[in-house]
Amino acid sequence: MKTENELIKEILDGNTQAFTELFRMFEETVYSFAFKVCRDREKAEDTIQDTFINVYRKLHQFDGKSKFSTWLYSIVTNNCLMKNRQRKIDTASVSIHDDHESSPLQTSPEPDPLETVMSDELRVKLDNAILSLPVEYRVVFVLRDIEELSAQETGDILGLSVPAVKSRLHRARKALREQLSDY
Amino acid sequence: MSTDKITCNDVLNHICDNLDEDMDSPTCRAIKSHIAECPDCAVYLKSMKNTIHLYKRYPLPKPSGAANRRIEDFILKNEISRRNG
Repeated sequence: MKTENELIKEILDGNTQAFTELFRMFEETVYSFAFKVCRDREKAEDTIQDTFINVYRKLHQFDGKSKFSTWLYSIVTNNCLMKNRQRKIDTASVSIHDDHESSPLQTSPEPDPLETVMSDELRVKLDNAILSLPVEYRVVFVLRDIEELSAQETGDILGLSVPAVKSRLHRARKALREQLSDY
Repeated sequence: MSTDKITCNDVLNHICDNLDEDMDSPTCRAIKSHIAECPDCAVYLKSMKNTIHLYKRYPLPKPSGAANRRIEDFILKNEISRRNG
């Protein structure tokens, strides 16, 4: 199996098959990160598409100084932040034209058996708690605590200083802990 | 942060830097010993670890493959337009 650096070199040499391999290598990483931030399957799917189109267009700008995954996370994060802004606009326009409240949670017609391991009630609580955070804090929490990136890597991805990452992380954890104190 | 006298507030602020990380520095050793003797900070640390653990256990859905097809279409179109100059 080729390494990501070998695939990147082949893509830059014009091998589109190598791009498909790179996509398969990172598709789940991008999807799972986008889902953890957006808590919405459809938006996570869209984020995969937007992210890899950006990767295809901008790969020549990747200088190899940072890890490819760090560079990829910065693109996914930007897409998630843009989707979040778009959602705010959509929600505002829906509230003008529609009285029905829309849930950010997507339900699957055939739930994955794995999902039954955690109760619906707890999942809703976890979704609501994380969605109540400002997206800038949510992203820091996911990158640091869930994806286990370092404060420096998180700062590089978000264009923040390490103290700013720590401050946002502290606030995010505190807010989540307060909402989930029963568990 | 001085290690002479660790307060609960120091612990709360510093935990966020070091949770699940190596706690071998003098400051972290002082914090560890504070946590060992302070039930409030111990509860705080435990509940924060629980919160993170819950999010890590959250079962994630799998991508449907729709993005895969759209990306392949996108690459194909780009390839055709590149070949046609």
